Amino acid sequence: MELIRSSQTAATKSRNVTTAPDSSRAERSKDHWSQLLERVASHQDRAAFHELFEHFGPQIKYYAISNGIAHQAEELVQEVMISIWRRASTYDWRKAAASTWIFTIARNQRIDMLRKIQRGSAEMAIETEDLWQIPGDDEKDPVPSLHRIIAERRIRDSFEHLPQEQLTVLKQVYLEHKSHQAVAEDLDIPLGTVKSRVRLALGKLKVILQDQDL
Amino acid sequence: MSTHHPDEVLLMEYSAGTLSEPMALCMRMHLDRCSHCRGQLDMLNSLGAIMLDHSQQASRVSDDLFDNIVAQIDSEPAPREAETEKPAHDSPLERLLGSDLQELPWKRQLADVSVYDLSDRFPGDERVTLQKLCAGGRAPSHSHHGSEATLVLTGAFADANGVFSKGDFVILDQHHDHQPVALHGEDCITLSVMDAPVKLTGRLTRLLNPFIR
Repeated sequence: MELIRSSQTAATKSRNVTTAPDSSRAERSKDHWSQLLERVASHQDRAAFHELFEHFGPQIKYYAISNGIAHQAEELVQEVMISIWRRASTYDWRKAAASTWIFTIARNQRIDMLRKIQRGSAEMAIETEDLWQIPGDDEKDPVPSLHRIIAERRIRDSFEHLPQEQLTVLKQVYLEHKSHQAVAEDLDIPLGTVKSRVRLALGKLKVILQDQDL
Repeated sequence: MSTHHPDEVLLMEYSAGTLSEPMALCMRMHLDRCSHCRGQLDMLNSLGAIMLDHSQQASRVSDDLFDNIVAQIDSEPAPREAETEKPAHDSPLERLLGSDLQELPWKRQLADVSVYDLSDRFPGDERVTLQKLCAGGRAPSHSHHGSEATLVLTGAFADANGVFSKGDFVILDQHHDHQPVALHGEDCITLSVMDAPVKLTGRLTRLLNPFIR
């Protein structure tokens, strides 16, 4: 029960401080992050890189801590930032927002780190990026960028209005690396309830579109 | 374009990076062939980024961390990661196998059914197999204990629930009594990931939970 309470408090806090003007500012700054990435890619711009670090570094550190790898938290920040530096030229703003691209890199580095700990010195049979792709690495989709940007704005706006219980489940899955089964055990609710909260949340955010046919 | 997809709950676990390696492989192989699910995944990844952005407890980093990062970048000039030589195989599964599907040392189990077990390539307790039903072949009627994720790699099979062809993803469970028949013309090869047996480590909720027996 302790865990529910603390994550609810955290979630409430994050909802209170995020107001509508903030979200439009985030909207503008999202473009800003893409521009910074492009500056890193085109002429190894260290000032741009530093600004990315200032913004995303603390987020990635928090991500590591909430994922239970507090001891390697700064190591994760370091790995992710180096990866951003090295692959900035593969970033394509039409395929993903800069923050989304960075999220997938952080996720993969976290998985990679855990896999290495789990495996010890044994060789990994398959690369993490063969299992979890970074957006833009596959050239299959001519992603309609406007469509993506509108959909993202919608998610961002409706995110503020998610009921607490749905937000708690999403947070546990995304930020605490829990399977739906583990969330169910944690919150002492049936797995079916967890899944229906996820479905309701994704429906509200319109992440899942009935007629989506990209 | 596939017609059988993973549900949004599984896609979300994939996006969050909580799926096991074999399950992630199934998802990746499906995503490679399914623009619909790729579109959904893009949205779920955006959700992940938005959640991270909203986590107000962002943690302060050490003062010298940025300098350390720059020092490491400078010490390894012009690295080109993940794009060295072109891999010999296009699909992640074939890179894992180091071989084409047809050339594997298949073990024949029944007249029409062969199996190749690759559980030992992955950590964890899931049973991971490739299953081959020869073209026009028929597997005996069976149902499933626990649940089994199946991804069609080549050919197609049909059962009472429909036709499943290349790229299709389906979860078979105890409610799914099936007698698959491979369509003519091509062997049907599937990648299948079976749940680990349930361990009795949970609390009382597990006993009350209809999804776990």
